[in-house]
Amino acid sequence: MTPLTPADYDAIRLSLQVSIAATLLSLPFGFAVAYLITFVQFRGKVLLEVLINLPLTMPPVVVGYFLLLLLGRHGWLGSLLDEVGIRLIFTLKAAVIASAVVGFPLLVRSVRIGMEGIDPQLINASRTLGARWPDTLMTVILPLSIPGLVAGSSLMFARSLGEFGATIIVAGNIPGVTQTIPLAIYEYAASPTGESMALSLCLVSVAISVIVLFLHETMAKKAARSD
Amino acid sequence: MKNAFKIVTTLFCLILPSTPVFAADVNLFIAASLKEVINELSDNFAKKNASVKFIKNYGASGALAKQIENGAPSDVFISANLEWMDYLKKKNLADVASIATFTYNTLVFAGKTGKASSMQDLGKLERIAIGSPKSVPAGEYAMGAFKKAGIDKQLEKKLVMAKDVRESLMYAERGEVDGAFVYRTDALQAKQAKILFTVPQDLYPRVTYPMSLTVTGSKNRDAAAFFAYLHGDDARSVLTKYGFATK
Repeated sequence: MTPLTPADYDAIRLSLQVSIAATLLSLPFGFAVAYLITFVQFRGKVLLEVLINLPLTMPPVVVGYFLLLLLGRHGWLGSLLDEVGIRLIFTLKAAVIASAVVGFPLLVRSVRIGMEGIDPQLINASRTLGARWPDTLMTVILPLSIPGLVAGSSLMFARSLGEFGATIIVAGNIPGVTQTIPLAIYEYAASPTGESMALSLCLVSVAISVIVLFLHETMAKKAARSD
Repeated sequence: MKNAFKIVTTLFCLILPSTPVFAADVNLFIAASLKEVINELSDNFAKKNASVKFIKNYGASGALAKQIENGAPSDVFISANLEWMDYLKKKNLADVASIATFTYNTLVFAGKTGKASSMQDLGKLERIAIGSPKSVPAGEYAMGAFKKAGIDKQLEKKLVMAKDVRESLMYAERGEVDGAFVYRTDALQAKQAKILFTVPQDLYPRVTYPMSLTVTGSKNRDAAAFFAYLHGDDARSVLTKYGFATK
C-alpha cells in the first residue's frame, strides 16, 4: 500500500467538507418539502414529487449537464451571477450544489417516512389545545421528525461522498480546490502508474462509508428505542 | 427441462457478440489529439479495403496504455509522448520492431483573446485547463514547462485537470476557463478559442508521437497493412492538412 500524498489528504478533506455543507444546506429545505408533501394538500403535488425525485433516477451526468447549462459562465443564472461577481462553476460551491441536488431526494424520502409515522392524533390534540400551526410544527412535528432527519442526513451525507458524475462536470477536477475522493481516484485510475495510489484512496473511501453506515444504524436503533 | 435448456442456450448465443471472431477488425488506440487525422486516414483506407472494419478508441495516451496493459483488444497504438510507448515496450506489449515516429506537434495556450500573451501572464488568470499530467501527455508537457518557468507553485490551485487534451480544449471553447494548454493542431480545430501564445520550446521536450503495432496487432494482417499505410504519403498529406509537423 502506498502512503497518501498531500493531494490525497486534500481530497479527503474536500470530500468531507462538500458532504457536510451539502447536507446542512439541504436540511431546512428537505424538512420543508417533506412537510409540504406529507401534511399539505395542494394542486401539482405529484409534479413536485416527481421533480424532487428526478435526480434519484436521472444519470448524475445529466444533472451535472443541466447545472452547467444553468450555472455556467454563459448559463441562464450563471451569466447573471457573473455580472455581480459571483462565480460558481469550477469552485467548491459548485461541488456542494451538485451534491445537494443529487442527494436531496434521499433526504426528503427519509424525512417523509418519519413524518408519515407521526400519530395524527398527536397533531390534532395539539390543535384542539389551541396551538397554532407554527406551534404544532415546532413542538410536535419537528421533534418527532428527528429520527427521520438523522437517517436522511446520514444517507445524504454518504451519497455526497460518492458523488462523481455531476461534480466532475460543474466543479471540474482541480487538485486542492475541487478534487474530491472519487475524482482523485478517477484520475489515478486513468494512469498506468496510479494503481496502488488509487487503491489507498479506495480504502479510505470504504472506511468512511463504513463509519457513516455504522453511525446511521446506531442512531436508527437509538431512535427506535426512545419511541 | 430439455426445452428449457435449449431456450437458455439459444438466448445465450444471441447475446454473445454478433461479430464473428474471424472478422477483420482493427482496433486503434490513438492519442486524442489525432482524432481527425486518424478518422480521415481510416476512412480512406476502408474505402480501398472494404473488408476492414476499424474500432477507434481515442483518449489520453496514458489511459490508453493502461487499457492495453489490462487486456483491451488493441492492434495499433499511437501515443502523444515517448513515455507511454516505453511503458508498453517494457511490459512487452508493443511490437518493438514496428515502433516509429508518426508526427510532431507544439504546445500552445488557447483561450479568449486578450487573456494572456506569455507564460508570465498566467499568474493573473483564475482558471487554466490542462490534461491530467498523470495520464495526458499535453498536461505533462505543460506541467514540465510550468516547473521550468518557475510558476508551478503560483498556478497550483488554478489548474482544472481534464481527462484528455480535447476536454481541456472544450473547457476553453465554452469559456469556463480562461484558457487551456493544448496542441497547436487542437487549437486550429477550435471555433471560439484562439491561440494566445506558443509555449517556448526550451521549456519542454519536443512533442513526439510514436506509433507501434501491439504484439497482438503484429499478427493481424489488416492492422499491419493499415500500419504500413500510416507510413505513406497519404498519411503525410493528411497530417500536413491538419497542421502537424511531419519532420
